[in-house]
Amino acid sequence: MTLLRQPANWWRENRLPLLASITAMFILLFTIGGAVGVANAATKPAAADDGVKGQTFTIATDTTWAPFEFERDGELRGIDIDLIKAVAKDQGFDVEIDVLGFDGALAAVTAGQADAVMAGMSITKERQKTFDFSNPYFDSGIQMAVASNDTSINGYEDLEGKSVSAKTGTEGFAFAEKLGKEYGFTVTGFQDASDAYSDVTSGNSAAVFDDYPILAYGIATGNVALKTVTDQEKASSYGMAVKKGDNEALRKAFNTGLKNLIEDGTYQSILDDYLGDNAPDATGIGGGKAVLGNSTLEPGKPGDLPKNPAFATDTPQTNGSFTIATDTTFAPFIYQVGGKNIGIDMDLLRAIAANQGFSVEIKTLGFDAALQAVTAGQADGVIAGMSITDERKQVFDFSDPYYESGVQMAVSKDSDITSYEDLKGKNVAVKTGTVGYDFAQQLSEEIGFTINAFQDSADMYNDVAVGNSAATFEDAPVLQFGIASGSVPLKIVTDAEPGSNYGFAVAKGANTELLKMFNDGLQNAKDTGAYQQIIDRYLAIDDTAAVDNSFWTLVKTSIGPLSQGLVLTLLATALAIVFAMILGIVFGILKLSTNPFLRILAGAYVNIFRGTPVLVQAFFFYFGVPAVTGQPLDALTAGVITLSLNAGAYITEIVRGGVQSVDPGQMEASRSLGLGWGASMRRVVMPQAFKIMTPNLINQFIITLKDTSLLSVLGFAELTYQGRIVIASTFRSFEIWIIVGAMYFVVIWLLTVLSNWVDRKFNK
Amino acid sequence: MTNSEPTYTRPVTTTSGDPIEVRDLHKSFGKNHVLTGIDLTVANGEVVAVIGPSGSGKSTLLRCLNRLEEVTSGEVLIVGENIAVAKGKKLDAVRQRVGMVFQHFNLFPHMTALENVTLAPIELRMLSRAEARKRGVELLTRVGLADKVDARPASLSGGQKQRVAIARALAMSPEIMLFDEATSALDPEMVGEVLQVIRDLAASGMTMVLVTHEMGFAREVADRVVFMADGNVVESGAPSDIFDNPQEARTQDFLSKVL
Repeated sequence: MTLLRQPANWWRENRLPLLASITAMFILLFTIGGAVGVANAATKPAAADDGVKGQTFTIATDTTWAPFEFERDGELRGIDIDLIKAVAKDQGFDVEIDVLGFDGALAAVTAGQADAVMAGMSITKERQKTFDFSNPYFDSGIQMAVASNDTSINGYEDLEGKSVSAKTGTEGFAFAEKLGKEYGFTVTGFQDASDAYSDVTSGNSAAVFDDYPILAYGIATGNVALKTVTDQEKASSYGMAVKKGDNEALRKAFNTGLKNLIEDGTYQSILDDYLGDNAPDATGIGGGKAVLGNSTLEPGKPGDLPKNPAFATDTPQTNGSFTIATDTTFAPFIYQVGGKNIGIDMDLLRAIAANQGFSVEIKTLGFDAALQAVTAGQADGVIAGMSITDERKQVFDFSDPYYESGVQMAVSKDSDITSYEDLKGKNVAVKTGTVGYDFAQQLSEEIGFTINAFQDSADMYNDVAVGNSAATFEDAPVLQFGIASGSVPLKIVTDAEPGSNYGFAVAKGANTELLKMFNDGLQNAKDTGAYQQIIDRYLAIDDTAAVDNSFWTLVKTSIGPLSQGLVLTLLATALAIVFAMILGIVFGILKLSTNPFLRILAGAYVNIFRGTPVLVQAFFFYFGVPAVTGQPLDALTAGVITLSLNAGAYITEIVRGGVQSVDPGQMEASRSLGLGWGASMRRVVMPQAFKIMTPNLINQFIITLKDTSLLSVLGFAELTYQGRIVIASTFRSFEIWIIVGAMYFVVIWLLTVLSNWVDRKFNK
Repeated sequence: MTNSEPTYTRPVTTTSGDPIEVRDLHKSFGKNHVLTGIDLTVANGEVVAVIGPSGSGKSTLLRCLNRLEEVTSGEVLIVGENIAVAKGKKLDAVRQRVGMVFQHFNLFPHMTALENVTLAPIELRMLSRAEARKRGVELLTRVGLADKVDARPASLSGGQKQRVAIARALAMSPEIMLFDEATSALDPEMVGEVLQVIRDLAASGMTMVLVTHEMGFAREVADRVVFMADGNVVESGAPSDIFDNPQEARTQDFLSKVL
C-alpha cells in the first residue's frame, strides 16, 4: 500500500559498547530540558537557505559502517561523509564530523549536542516523530545473507526452527522479527554489524539480515565470508536527520545542496567512487525526491505543482486542449475548496497535463453524468476515482492504474483490536451499498461478528468512536483522508485488502493520444516523486499527536519486555553464581594444596580470568571458541560460562583468603579427633571460612548480577538488552535507563537484604 | 573395635606391647634440629609428665605422637602402628584412638559445647546421633558442665572451654590422651578445675602423656617424669626421683628455677 509505504520501524542502534549508552544517558541527563521536550517541537519551516552561510555544524555519525562511513587512506571517508562535505561546500557552511556510533549520534542530536545525524539512517515513521528528515539521498533495502559455504539455506522457508542475527534496532532486525513469526525462526540482536555477521560465520546463526549496500560492500571487499541469497526487501531511503523543529535551515540547505550536487553530477561521482558499477542513478533516488530540493505542495492550494527538475511542468501546451469530466465530490480524489476543484485526481491530472504539454478543462458533472458525457462525446476523458472493471472496459479504454484502492479496517483510537480475528462476537459498522459493506458481510461469515448498517458515513464513524461497534470497513483512501484531515476520530490497524484500481478513461477507441500522454505523464510523475508528493499531500497521516508520551504509559508498555529481561538476568546470575562457587571452592582449595602443580594450575586460572576483561572473555567464548570447534554455543551457555569462570576466579581468592584466615588449630583439633582432611574442611574449617567470606561473596554476587548486562552484546535478551530494544522503538533513553537502573537497584537491594538475613541466621 | 553402647573407656584391643613406643625420633624444621633422637616408651595405663625449659622440644614430641608434625626420621609406634609413615585412613584410625588437648583449646566456635563433643562420633559413625548426644551429655556432666551443654564456646570461661575440649577428646573413647600444656593459657583461678578433671582421668587408668609446667601436679599424678632439654631426654624416672634427687646438672638447674 503506497500510503503506508513507510513501515513501522525500530530504531537502528547500539553499535558502540554499553559505555555509549551510559554516556548518552548522561548527555540526556544534563540536557534534560532539551531531551524531554523532543516530541512537542514545532515544524514550522524556517526562513531560507542563507541562514547557514559561514556557520559550522556538528554532524554526528556512526562508527565504521562501510561504505557510508569508514576509514579510507587514513581519514574518515564514505558516501555520507563525502556527501555532507560536498553539500557544506556547495552551501557555504562548515561541518565538524563527530563519530559517536549510531545510538550515540541519535542521542547527541536529540540532546542538542550535535546538529544533525548523517549515518545511513533510514527515514521511518517512528523516527519522524523525533526527527525531521532531509530529502532521501540513498535508496536501500534489506537482504538476507548466509555463510558463503552454506548451501542449505536458499530462502526464508529454509530458516524454520533456526536462529538468525541482525543489528539491534535496524530495519533488518524488525524485518527479521516479523518474518520469523511467519517462518518460525528466532532473531538475535547485536550492537555491532560485524558481530551479527560473525554470528553467522561461526555457525551460531543461520543467516543475517542487513541493509543491502552494507552487505554488498562487505562481501565485495572480501571482508565477510557471507553470500546473499534473496532479493532486497522493505525498501527504505536514507536521509539526514535534525532534531524535530530544530536546524530547519540546515535541513533545507542540505536539500538544496543535494539537488545542486545531483544536477552537476558531483553526487553521482561520489556514488560511483564507492559503488562502481553498482552505483544507483542519483537522479532517481527516493523515486526522484532527491532532486526536489525544498519545493513542496501546500495542502489545499490546487494547481501548485512541484518544481522538480526531473518532472518538467513548464512544457509548452502545444499538444491540444481536452475536456475532462469528473465527479462533484469524492474526497480525497475530487472535492471543492474555495470554489476550486482539488483532490488527488485534480492535482494529478493538472501535473500530467503540464508535464505533457496539453491543457485541460474540468467539468464537474457527478459520477454517472461524467461517464455519460464521455460516451456521448461531450468530454474527452473522465477521472473520478473510477474503478477499472471488466464491464466498463466494454465501453471505455482505461489508462494504467493511477491509484490502488481497497477496503481497509479502522477502529477507535484506544482500541486493542489489531486483526480481523479480534472482531469475533463484536459489532461492525458499515455503510450500506459500499464495497466495505460487501467485504464485511463476507468476513462476518468467516469470523463471526454482527453488522450494523448505516446510511451515513458520519453515523458509521461515530458508532465506532463511541464504542458501540468495534470496527468499520471502508475504502482505504477515503478512510485515510478522513483520518489525515482529522474529521474521522479513528485509527487504521490493518493493511488495505487488495481491491480495485482507479484509472483515467476515454471513450473506447477514441482519444488514444490523450490516453498515451496520460500514461507517459503518470509514469514520469511516479519516477520523479511528484506522484508521491501529491498522494502525501492528501493522505499522509501525521500520527504524532496520537502518541501518548506520559511516563506511566511508557512504564506500562515497557514493563513486559523489561520483566522478561529481568527473569533472564536472574537466571544467568543464578546459574553463574552456582558454577562460580563450585569453581571458586575447588580452585581456592587447590591454591592451598601442598602440591605445587595444583597450586600453579589454580594460580594460572585466577590470573587469566582476573587479568582480562569480562567483555573480552564473553566474545571469546561466544564467537572465538565456536569458530575453532565448529560447535556453536547459545548466548546463555556462553554467557554463563564466561561469568562462571570470571566470578570463579575472584571467588577462588575469596575462598583462599577465607580458609587461610581460619586458625590452623581448628584443623589440627579436627584431625586429632580422627576426622579426615575432607570431613575437617567440610565440618570445621569451611563453616568458619564462609562466615568470614560472606561479605566478599555477597559483593561478588552483586558484581556478577551486574556483569550479566555485558551479555547484551551477545544478543542475550537480559534486562539491559531489553532496555535497548525498548529504546529502539520509543527513543526514550532517559526514562528507560532510569527504569532499568531502578530494576537493577531494587533487585540488588532485595538480594542484599536477603543475604544479610541469611548471614545473621546462619553465621551466628 | 566395637562400640555398641556408650562406655567411658574403649575396650583395649592391643594386649601385647606398649601403647606408645618412640624409637630414635628426629625432627627438624629446616636447619633447626628440634628433636635429636628421642626414645620413649609408655606402658599401658602409665601417666607420663614431660617437663623441661621452653624450646626443649617437649611440645613437638607430643605433636609427633599423633602426627600433627611430620617426623623427619625414626619410628613412632602408637598402639602398634608406626604413624611416622602411616597414611590416609590408617593414620586417621590411629588418631581416633589418641585424644589430644591443646593449650589454646581449639574448640569449634560455630558449634555448641555438645556439638563439639559429638562431632567426631557422629561424623565417623562410631555412634548414632542419639547415642552420641547421650554420651556427650554424660561426658560434659563428668567434667562438671552439665549446664553448658548448649552453650557456644564464646560464652564459656577458659577453664570451661578446656574442660569441653577434654570431653571432646574423650568422646572417641581413646586409649591414649595427650595434654599439650593444657593449663598454660588459663587464668590461675581456673587451673584447678582443669587439673581435677585430668587427675580423675589419671585415676581411671588412662594412658596419658602430659606436657606441663605445673610441677606440683606432675609430681602428684605422674607415674614417671621425663625431663627434656635441647631436643633430647635428659633424665627420666619416678617423680620423687626427678624432683627430689635429680641426677643431671641440667635437671637440677631447671628445677632450681621453677620450684
